Amino acid sequence: MAHMPIKETIVEKPVRFANFHFKHKIWTLMVLVVTCLLALLFLGPYLYLLLTSLKPSAEAVTAPPTLWPSRFSIENYIKMLDYLPIGKYFFNSLITAGASTILSVFFGAMAAYGISRFSSITGSYFLLFTLVIRMVPMISIAIPMYMIIKSMGLIDTHFALILVYTSLNVPFAIWLMIGFFDSVPKEFDEAARVDGCSWIGAFIRIILPVSLPGLATTAIFTFMLAWNDFLFSLLMTSTNAKTATVGISEFLTAYNLDLGPMTAAAISFSLPVMIFSFFIQRYIVSGMTLGAVKE
Amino acid sequence: MRLKNGALSTIFFFPAGIFMLVFLVYPIFLLIRDSFYKIDIINPSLREFVGFANYTNSLTSERFLKALWNTVVYIGVAVGFEFILGLILALLLSNAFKGSQFIRTLLLSPLMLAPLVTGIIWKFMLNDQFGIINWGLYKLGILSDPHQILWLSDSRFALYSTIIADIWLTTPFIMLVLLAGIKGIPISLYESADMDGANKWHKFRYITFPSLIPVATVALLIRMIDAARTFDIVWVLTQGGPGFSSELLSTYMYKTLTRYGEVGQSSAMAVIFIIILLVLSSFFITKMWSPRRTH
Repeated sequence: MAHMPIKETIVEKPVRFANFHFKHKIWTLMVLVVTCLLALLFLGPYLYLLLTSLKPSAEAVTAPPTLWPSRFSIENYIKMLDYLPIGKYFFNSLITAGASTILSVFFGAMAAYGISRFSSITGSYFLLFTLVIRMVPMISIAIPMYMIIKSMGLIDTHFALILVYTSLNVPFAIWLMIGFFDSVPKEFDEAARVDGCSWIGAFIRIILPVSLPGLATTAIFTFMLAWNDFLFSLLMTSTNAKTATVGISEFLTAYNLDLGPMTAAAISFSLPVMIFSFFIQRYIVSGMTLGAVKE
Repeated sequence: MRLKNGALSTIFFFPAGIFMLVFLVYPIFLLIRDSFYKIDIINPSLREFVGFANYTNSLTSERFLKALWNTVVYIGVAVGFEFILGLILALLLSNAFKGSQFIRTLLLSPLMLAPLVTGIIWKFMLNDQFGIINWGLYKLGILSDPHQILWLSDSRFALYSTIIADIWLTTPFIMLVLLAGIKGIPISLYESADMDGANKWHKFRYITFPSLIPVATVALLIRMIDAARTFDIVWVLTQGGPGFSSELLSTYMYKTLTRYGEVGQSSAMAVIFIIILLVLSSFFITKMWSPRRTH
């Protein structure tokens, strides 16, 4: 009898432990199920668009609607090319977004380097300006920009959109790049200067290469802003420089009863970006939480 | 040395500065100037000074006040739901379980989606003839008729339908920021709470939630400002209709400029809009910016 208490503790301990484990497992399972359901809620609509685009054309718009295609088909994608010069619109998007990204990242990086290395007072007022610009509604600035572009005779040109996107992106690019340059030790510049580089040379040969992750993040963001833009393209282009977003939106007005090709165009426009962003998410996350979360 | 630094700073800042001066500062100057004139969009040189008439016209026009109210509703409802959903998702994902990283990645992919494509997805799903939402609700027995709710063409629902699309698109952003905030909470806080025998609710109530307040404030302000600027989603889904039931300030200003050609009137509205947003965000700006940046 004397050894009973010892036995009890030996038996009891594993039971409590198992019980704890069991509760923990139930909790984890619940979390997993709820998370998966919510994730499905957020992914569902996009997957539905994808599935719809792959239905035979007549099936895309039916009542009652179907979830799964009766057979997979690229009819909508072929029709999309017939209806509108969608290839040209995609090309316009690529040109304007690409060119404005290169310009805004390069000029933005230069300015950010100047602020990071040579001034603190101007730099801080500049940051104030950037924040104010961030608050200004796009539509407000679009009104006078439209008047300026119009007076320059640039309406419906690639150049107009490149100018607009670059100016909108430059403050943002500077804001992002300052953070990256601040983290590059000043000894790097000094070493380059000792080796006989000019300040510009040190910037191009030493600082830019070590800041590549920062440049990549900035480039992704500036590209996306231009690529996804709808308002400025809607306002400033008509036939020649019209970008993909405005082109896709035209399916809604022009072919109101045949929306299958529109889903194909929306997928062609967004899926490459979605897949790409899947792989570069590390960069996106650091850019998105910038400002909100102090690192 | 200061002068030299100033000169170098100017050189680096020059190209970006030119862009911002010509395409951001000058437009805002034009906007303010034009808001005091009556301007013919066909021939902008015909202008007549009207003082504050454009402002008084806006502030007394029922349509403007309706658009302002709709914008407030849009911001309040959308950001409110986004915060609650985003917080739930962040808390769920902060439990490290098998696959949580993968689900997080999946959840984040809509962040790169163009608002225009979001509009198209929901236009498709909310359609009252062939939309899958109504048919789903009908199959579940919630609706007695699959054409019962005219999501986009009933003036009672149109604004809320656009809000649904906004919630879907931007909840992942709130989730991302809050998740980063949760990850930043020192684990020792939870460990000492465990020793004091705190349960999950206590830990949320007394550790997680208070620690998240600074991050959440910034995230909410960013979202509120972006929600106020919404244009694409609403334009694709309803164009502000039916009637003016889902008219936001941004769509109303766009129409005033392009359909009615009233440059002066739309400029005055834009200035009012900017002032409102700057007041709203002044808190955010003072939080983010201090006159002397510390390196």
